[in-house]
Amino acid sequence: MSVKEEAKNLLGKGMDGVLFYQMKDGSAIPHLFTSKDIDEMPDVREIPDSERYPLSDILSKLLMRFSSAKFGIVARGCDERAIIELEKHQQIDTSRVSLIGFACSPELAKICSCSKPYTESLADEMNEAQEISRGIESVERMSTPARLGFWLSNFSVCVKCMGCRNICPLCFCKECSLQDEDLVESGVLPPSIPTFHLLRAIDMAGRCVMCGLCEEACPAGIPLRTLYGKVSEIVREELGYVPGTRGVKSPLEELGSSVGSDDDLKS
Amino acid sequence: MASDENVLLQDLTPIRIVAFLCNWCSYAGADLAGVSRLSYPANVVTIRVMCSGTVSPYHVLKAFQSGADGVLITGCHIGDCHYLKGNYMTYKRFQVIQGLLQFVGIEPERFRLEWISASEGEKFAETVRDFTEEVGKLGESPLADEREAAKSREALMRRF
Amino acid sequence: MIDEEMVDYRTVPTVCPYCGAGCGMLLEVCSGEVIGVLPMKGHPSSKGSLCAKGWSSPEFLKSSNRLAKAILREEGEEKEVSLESALGLVVENLNRVLEKYGPEAVGFISSARCTNEENYLLEKFARTFAKTNNIDHCARL
Repeated sequence: MSVKEEAKNLLGKGMDGVLFYQMKDGSAIPHLFTSKDIDEMPDVREIPDSERYPLSDILSKLLMRFSSAKFGIVARGCDERAIIELEKHQQIDTSRVSLIGFACSPELAKICSCSKPYTESLADEMNEAQEISRGIESVERMSTPARLGFWLSNFSVCVKCMGCRNICPLCFCKECSLQDEDLVESGVLPPSIPTFHLLRAIDMAGRCVMCGLCEEACPAGIPLRTLYGKVSEIVREELGYVPGTRGVKSPLEELGSSVGSDDDLKS
Repeated sequence: MASDENVLLQDLTPIRIVAFLCNWCSYAGADLAGVSRLSYPANVVTIRVMCSGTVSPYHVLKAFQSGADGVLITGCHIGDCHYLKGNYMTYKRFQVIQGLLQFVGIEPERFRLEWISASEGEKFAETVRDFTEEVGKLGESPLADEREAAKSREALMRRF
Repeated sequence: MIDEEMVDYRTVPTVCPYCGAGCGMLLEVCSGEVIGVLPMKGHPSSKGSLCAKGWSSPEFLKSSNRLAKAILREEGEEKEVSLESALGLVVENLNRVLEKYGPEAVGFISSARCTNEENYLLEKFARTFAKTNNIDHCARL
């Protein structure tokens, strides 16, 4: 069954709209399809690989604005992970959301270095995901001063557009640490480096679902996927948590020890 | 008199260390070290916090950005937290911050977490001595140059 | 299911009004109200990026500080006047200064938010009518 038919089914079952992309002059742009224009919904193959938007973020906005409406969403793997993680942070009420999943093209998965470019519903049909390097190893091979040099030279071209924060589906705070006068000096470019970027990296710990939208939106080309990928790796290895998976919350959000015994910590 | 001079000389070493002490255990431990007249290097600036779990990663990053060569967090032993589980949080955050610091090229030895109880005045003095020595070997923070560069950039911007 | 007319979300492709670079942006429109902005991924020049000004453009859209009417300041007091009388005042003073001090005493400032054609018109006006080269615009980034 095509995505359009599934979306029509959802609308028939009382959903108020289905969030996906509309094709306009050859570009895909986010659009909420209702029963009026559902016939114009394109097939997933028509969506260009390079045109991804934070649909989960838009969904969260819509759910807040229309407090009793129900929505469907045609989602990629990263959109689904973001929705799961947002639900854990009470930003999305999934009882009002129905998800239609699709898989990204192998080419896009490679560009994104995505280890799960499909939704949970399609997991059985997909091949086992392979280990993906996000450039972390090549940074780790450098000497300590060289690593600092590498990151400082990357951070120093930052224009503080806040695009990484604005487009991030998991950045939902009303008050942002990046705009705190005590942490980041205002009116100076580049912003306090490396603090500015490390603040965001720390905030991404236990949250980042590796959608890579931040890196795509960065006009300065900072390798943010590598930085946040490393943070995720630390959280996975030390705290045993992978954001975007169902079940427990991030250990960084909850009190108490969710990993290791007390004896491990005493040493 | 000779030992006093030594203390003075140590004061002049340019190493700056920021230490966050939890109110219930480590601050009392530091107090005990003082009352017991144990000497430890004066390069440490202590900040008392109610619980080591209240030390946000932001505070650690801000300390490094503002010129700290080392950051020390001390709290109650696991199981002894006044707020029951605050220090578990400290430990979890510590792991993430230290891993991140290492990845961006700041020596992880500059950031240390120790559990020091109210009765461990000697351990506090020893920890500070050892940490100061270790950071002293590494020298000034590599971000020191970055601070200078930022200042000159700022001066340049002001001229326009 | 709630009232169908109410639920509406669409994105409208447009060009960033802030400077001459002309980055592509999408305005997020929810029931007729602009609620946010997204960078246009498929745009040939901006390629899915925006700068700080582009990202924050929805803020000025709804700002109460935005000048939507002609306001005249007379003896420290500000009062609303019609566009005709405001333009009349400009014409009067422009003629007076040109007559008394010559073309070098006047200047024109245009805006990157105007179209190319409008900017051309102002340039033509400055050079042919006022006979001055004093013309510039806001987008000197």
